Amino acid sequence: MTTIQTPLQVFLADDDEDDRTFFSEAIEDIKMKNKLKLFNDGRDLMDYLFNADAILPHILFLDLNMPYKNGLDCLKEIRANDRFKDVSIAIYSTSSSDEDIENTFIEGANIYIKKPNDFSELKKVIKGVFNMNWQFHLSGLNKETFFFSI
Amino acid sequence: MKFLGLYKNTQIFKIALIVAIIVIGYIAKVFYTQMQKLDDSVELIANSNKTQYELEKLLSIMGNYEMNLRNYIITKDESYLEDRFSNRGEIEGCLQNLRRIAATNPIKIKDVDSLNNLIDYRFKLFRDLLTIQKSKQKNNPELYVKLLESSVCTETMHTFVYKRINAEIDKIKKYDISHQFELNDSIISAFLLVMLSFSILLLSFNKMNIDINELKKTNDELKFTNLSFKSAEEIAGFGHWKFNLDTNKFTFSDNYYRLMGLEPNTFEPNLESATKFLHPDDFKQAIETHKQSLIDHKPTSTMLRYVLVDGSVKYIMTVGSFTKNSSGNFIKIGINYDITAQYKKTLEIEENNKQLKDINAELEAFNNIVSHDLQEPLRKIQMFISRLEENEFELLTENGKDYFTKIRSSANKMQILLIDLLDYSTVAKGDKVLVKLNLNDLVEQCIHEMSLSIEERKGEVKVKDLPEIFGIGFQLERLFVNLISNSLKYSKENSTPKIVIKSDKNFIKEKCNDKVYSSKEYHKIVVVDNGIGFKQEYADKIFLLFKRLETESKYTGTGIGLAICKKIVENHNGCIMVKSKVNVGTKFSIFFPK
Repeated sequence: MTTIQTPLQVFLADDDEDDRTFFSEAIEDIKMKNKLKLFNDGRDLMDYLFNADAILPHILFLDLNMPYKNGLDCLKEIRANDRFKDVSIAIYSTSSSDEDIENTFIEGANIYIKKPNDFSELKKVIKGVFNMNWQFHLSGLNKETFFFSI
Repeated sequence: MKFLGLYKNTQIFKIALIVAIIVIGYIAKVFYTQMQKLDDSVELIANSNKTQYELEKLLSIMGNYEMNLRNYIITKDESYLEDRFSNRGEIEGCLQNLRRIAATNPIKIKDVDSLNNLIDYRFKLFRDLLTIQKSKQKNNPELYVKLLESSVCTETMHTFVYKRINAEIDKIKKYDISHQFELNDSIISAFLLVMLSFSILLLSFNKMNIDINELKKTNDELKFTNLSFKSAEEIAGFGHWKFNLDTNKFTFSDNYYRLMGLEPNTFEPNLESATKFLHPDDFKQAIETHKQSLIDHKPTSTMLRYVLVDGSVKYIMTVGSFTKNSSGNFIKIGINYDITAQYKKTLEIEENNKQLKDINAELEAFNNIVSHDLQEPLRKIQMFISRLEENEFELLTENGKDYFTKIRSSANKMQILLIDLLDYSTVAKGDKVLVKLNLNDLVEQCIHEMSLSIEERKGEVKVKDLPEIFGIGFQLERLFVNLISNSLKYSKENSTPKIVIKSDKNFIKEKCNDKVYSSKEYHKIVVVDNGIGFKQEYADKIFLLFKRLETESKYTGTGIGLAICKKIVENHNGCIMVKSKVNVGTKFSIFFPK
């Protein structure tokens, strides 16, 4: 599943249409082999994931503030299910409040990304996350490296 | 002093009194014995006198008899012999008297017996003489012999009797002397003892008087204390009650009734009446608490509601504890006090607190909206700006490019503003957990963090002898970062910005915002720069939120930085003030509690 040959499966769950557009445009621009799947909210995402023959993502970008089911709830549900144990979760939110960072860290998110204000920065962030040595990042997971900065 | 001490001790007097009574009893006994002895002596003397009298009477009768006999011998006149038998009878009477006086004294009885023998012998001689005389023989020589014999016998009798009489006189004399002596002795000792007892009695009486007076005084004081206690209860809104566990009796103070809105002694003090006015919801708990305390004897403290006769509700705090009274009975003593006013005030405060919390929560929500929800669209604006900049910027006319740049800088400014606002609200909300911090290390850390912008302005920042204070680390960092960046921002264009952060060694006493700070309780830290400065009259304004003195575009700022500084210093119970001179520089003074 983590072999490099298969295209990187990337999921984004974000209720904001503009953000989804920015994200897919940025991914296109960085020209890395990947397959992006977009979800409009948490409920959409979970409905898909609990489908038995669903393709699971390598990296899931998860917005926190979403209708129907927010990012934190999705995070909890995913981490509660052993089927998704290989899914890396990157929180992708406007907020950078200590409370949100703390909560998502505790619930088992792998990295926390504050949505950038600049498109080129967004591209850098995505590139950085894609190129991340997840194995290393997971083993050395701590609160200091949790909050992603370029 | 010691004597006074004894004098004051009632116990000693009780003992002295008992001693005095015993002494008086002893004296009475001694006197009785003495009187009895006197009585005996008097009787003895009377007996002795009687004995003398009887003996002398005996002698005189004998003498008389002898004389009559002689007269008869000479005259031969029979008439001289007429009294012969009557004399003999009188002698017998005398002897009987003597025997009676001698009573059981064997020596005296013996004396009387020998006297009797002598008398008998004498009478025999009389009879012999009489017989010779009557025989009519003239000048009978036997008569002379008998007469001589009788003389000798009479002499013997005389001697015997006088010996006895003298013995009696001697005895009386001896008695008299010893009696006199004893009497004198006992009179003196009795007098002394009586005086002693009398003085003890007097002292006791005096002491008793003093004790009684003291008792009276104590009693008066007690009465007064009682009275003042009663009025104190009334003034303070207290009432007390007692429950005797041994007799099962309740006692209520006057004010206890008043607390119930009733006149004193309106009802019988018992458990039923004590709980009659209890709020129905509190009744069960009150009874249970009371009963439990009677078992474990632990102090109680309960707040109870009472519904008065007029229907109003009173909040009464009742506390009880256990003690023993003078008769050894176990007593529960309780105090009731009216806390209605305080309780209502507390409720009011709680209500206000709740409102305040609500307002705070609203404010926080507002802050969240400002800082988060406003950031969201702003971020998108900036995002689109960056998209346009990347792809479409070159297509714009020169004017368009100018407008576009202005849009971008405005958006960036707004972002900074929002971030500062968020910071301000976090600082204002700040949890106050103060820890000991070394300001030298902390400020060095700040300088390190700001090294890029300091280098950019080619600035110099010096740190000197900063103290250790109790503070909130990240807030103090924020404070010094803000002050340093403020100094850098308002530095003169053509000279090196120099900033000195140090503690003021000459600080003794200074006024800051109308409060006097002294070096005994406070540290003074100054941040001095050589920047553009400002007119001192604006000193108060720079700490106000959104107040900016420089509106020129080259001095960017949100007007929040120094407001945050002020808030942080206030969070540390300190004070910040500023002194400035245009084109010379600015000096911030900060006072932190030691």
